[in-house]
Parts: sequence; C-alpha cells; structure tokens
Amino acid sequence: MKFPVKPYRLPDDKQQAIARAKRLSWITIGFMLSIVVVIGLTMGSSEAMKAVWIEDILSLIPPIAFLVGTRYFDRPPDDQFPYGYRRAVMMAFLTAAVALLGFGLYIFIDAVMTLVLVEPPTIQTISIFGRRIWLGWLMIAALVYSVIPPFILGRMKQPLAKELHQKALQTDANMNKGDCLAGLAGVIGIIGVGFGYWWADAVAAIIISLEILRDGFSDLQHSVAQLMNKRPSDIDGKPDPIPDKVQHELERLDWVQRARVRLREDGDVLTGEAFIVPRDEADLLNRLRNAYDVANAVDWRLHDVNIVPVRSLE
Amino acid sequence: MNQMNLKRSILITFLALSVFGCATLPRDPKETLRQIHARPMRVGLVEHPPWVVRTNGEPAGVEVDLIRNFASELGTTPDWHWGGEQEQLEALQHYQLDVVIGGLTDRTPWSKYVGFTSPYFKETYHVALPPGSQLQNIKGTEVSVEKGDPVAAEVESKGARVVRVDDSSNVNGPVAAADWKLEQMSFTVTNEELDSLQHVIAVPPGENALVKRLDEFLYTKRFEMKGLLQQQVAKR
Repeated sequence: MKFPVKPYRLPDDKQQAIARAKRLSWITIGFMLSIVVVIGLTMGSSEAMKAVWIEDILSLIPPIAFLVGTRYFDRPPDDQFPYGYRRAVMMAFLTAAVALLGFGLYIFIDAVMTLVLVEPPTIQTISIFGRRIWLGWLMIAALVYSVIPPFILGRMKQPLAKELHQKALQTDANMNKGDCLAGLAGVIGIIGVGFGYWWADAVAAIIISLEILRDGFSDLQHSVAQLMNKRPSDIDGKPDPIPDKVQHELERLDWVQRARVRLREDGDVLTGEAFIVPRDEADLLNRLRNAYDVANAVDWRLHDVNIVPVRSLE
Repeated sequence: MNQMNLKRSILITFLALSVFGCATLPRDPKETLRQIHARPMRVGLVEHPPWVVRTNGEPAGVEVDLIRNFASELGTTPDWHWGGEQEQLEALQHYQLDVVIGGLTDRTPWSKYVGFTSPYFKETYHVALPPGSQLQNIKGTEVSVEKGDPVAAEVESKGARVVRVDDSSNVNGPVAAADWKLEQMSFTVTNEELDSLQHVIAVPPGENALVKRLDEFLYTKRFEMKGLLQQQVAKR
C-alpha cells in the first residue's frame, strides 16, 4: 500500500551528525570494555572495585541501545509499519534511562549496605619489581583511566544530542557523566581507605549516587512522557517552541482564520495535526496542500503534520 | 606566568603527596599495627599440620614459626590462643585477635568478614609415582590419598580409584599429594595436576597497614616455604 506521504529524510548535515554520534557510541563501547578489563584485573577482593566494575558493565547499555535504535529509525515505512520506524529511538531512550536509574540505584544501595554492615575493605599488596605495592595505588590508577574516556566522550555527545534531539544520546552522555563521578568517588574512597577512613568510599559513593539518581529519574520520567505523547520538549525537558511556530506560520496564511496545532515526538521527529478554520472554502484542496507544505517546512524536525480543516475550533 | 606557577605547585604537591603516600599509607582504621609494637600480638591458632601443630608445649608448625619471626621483627611477642576456625575468625572480625593462622587458603568463605594477606605460598597437588614406575592412564588406577584430604575428590574426578591411607609417605604406588611433599619422598611428579591452593593469613578487616607489613614479611620468605614445610614433616 502506498500513502501520499514522502518518507522522512534527515537533512544532510544532520545525517553527518548522526554518523558521528554512532561512531562515538562505538568508541564508547570499545573504551568501556577496556575499562571493564582493567578494573577487573585490579579489583582483587575489593567490594568497592567490584561495584565500579558492575557499573561499567551497566554503562554499556545506553550506547548499545542508541546504536540499535538508530539502526532502525531511518527505515522508510512499509506495510507492516506504515508510520515508519522513527520511534525505535524512543525505545532506546527508555532503555538507556532505565539503565541509568539502575546504575544510580546500584551504587546507592551498595554503599548504604557497606555502611550498615560495617565492612571495612581490606586491600592487599602485589609485588612489582620485587617490591610490595599497595593495590590501592593501582586501583586509583585504573580508576583514573576509567574516568578519562567517559569524560571526553560525554562532552562530545552532549552537543550532538542537542543538535539531533536524540534523547537516548543525551542519556548516554549522562551515563558517561555518572561513570566519571563514580570513578572519582572511587578514587576519593580509596585515598580515604589509605588514610584509615574505611567509610570514605561508601560516603563518596552515596553522594555521587544521588546526582546519578536525579539524572536517571528525570530521564526515565521524560522518556515515559515521550512515549505517552506528551507535548514536545527539548533535550533538557523544556517545552519546545516549534508547535507555536507552526501555528503562527499557518495563521499568517490569508485564507486561514484560526489554527490550532497539536504535535508529538516520534523520537527526534515531530508530527501531529494542525486544525485549521478557513475563512471560506474556495480552492480548499490546493490551499490545504499548500498549508501542509508550509507547516512541514517550519523546522527540519517536522514531518507529516496533517492539516485538518474544521468549521470552528470549539 | 601565573598559570606556570600554578602548574608547578600542583606538580610539586602531587609528587610530595605520592612520596609521602607510598611511605606512610595505607593506615589501619583500628591502629592494630601500631598497637602490637606496645603489647603482645594476639595470635589465633587453628590446628592444621604442618601449618599449625599442637604440641604439649609451645605451638609448632610452619605458620607458627613465620608469625614468631614476624613478631620478633616488629619487636613484640606472640600471645597464642587455640580455638576452632569459626570462633577464631569471629574474634578476628571484632578485633579481639590480631592474626589468625591455620593453613587458610584464598578459597576461604570468610573474606567478606575478615581481611587476608595476599597469597604468600602456592601449594600445587599432583599425582606422583615411586621412582622408576610409569603411569599409563590415570583412569582406574589406584591412587593413595591421606585420610580426610579434600584432594581425593579431584583424584576421583580424574577417574582414578582413591585408596585412603593414614600416612602417604609410606606408600609404594601412585600418590596424590602436594609437590613439596612428593619432592621429599623423591617421587616422580606426573602431569596430572589435581589442585592448587593459595595460602593466606587472616587479619582483622580493613587493617591495611598490618596487611601490607605482613605481606612484605611473607614475601621475603617466599623461597624458604618449601624447605620449612619439609623440615616440619621431617621433625614429626
């Protein structure tokens, strides 16, 4: 079945941005895997390091979700999916948000348990060139390594997420921020343990887990709202001005008496209806076609905004 | 200019901290290492020959000797306490003892509750034969194991038949035992590796200065362990 709707195509510069975002996600996966290996080698019997290790495995989920989502989202509509595959990235957003929230919860619960059960971490030594070196120093080195790639990658993803309105990518950047914070908390914790303050580790973890939980919770809220077709919002959750712009553009047409626009987010794309009250019914089919083009041309993210002529808005 | 100075002072602080850090850190939350300079070291003993051997007089055994040496290196004396493993480790968990020895290995399920040193001696178990004989196929062969030695399970899983004996050093046939012991018996070690145990010593949880000091001490003894074990068995 064919519909009189052109399949959506991202502008060329955005296509390039998406390709970059995908590349960054692959790089993230590569670095996170290497971090998982390095932390795994130095963790010994330290529970705190084991927690960092599990967190790093969890932080593989958002980039994987983003890559899976963006693999499908550009496919043209077919008989089975007449609206296309655009919403695949919304699933990625939800998955990434759940992973981020789980990540924060895990750190929080683990740290609270350590404090409640009074488990001072015992960190041994290993021999390097015939000297016994406290493993804590090696753990710090591993943690510092684990902080740098997510810090840089997160910074690189943020502007792309904003440009592309890819909220799954934004959540991935938040996860990178969380990785960074968790690694720094780990460093502070191990230095604390070195000075004999065994609880330093857990306290640092609780503080950073609150920040991660805040991000995770707001991302989860945001992604659920998006699936519920909440009115469009930008990457930070602020109301998107595009629906008002479309309404304004339509009302500028001389044959339009009033317009009312209702949009929702299909991933990065906005779609929905514009209800129009025409002044008269002359040449309506052509005018509607023109209104359709005007509405969809307001922004690159608009696609298939349908014009619905009505007698009144009541 | 200012930024240069800032960078330099950060670098100097960092270097100073790392020199200072490596020398005096880690510290003990409960100061065990500092305290045992001033009072006897409370040592929990769990009978486990040849590591910890109960006699009528002073305790004996390889780990007992190690701890005796360690104590004198620290300028203190050991105060021995005999007991069962659970009791001793619970006392250790609550800082009522300073060290527990008893042939413990890193497979211990206690690592969540108490601290352990790094493995200081690897004890590998093999099947070995009297000089001159040869092993065709381990499947179905009768292999002697000392009564109660858990390595019997590994022998069985290789398909051999386990013969439980009181003393494996009197056996004239295939034997499963630790390498240091087989060497003492002048048996020929086969390729059939059965198990490998990493020996550790238990310390109170989180006492990282004590762990480091004890690790350093045990590391200096790493080449003597085999000889000490063999001496211990020879004495019996």
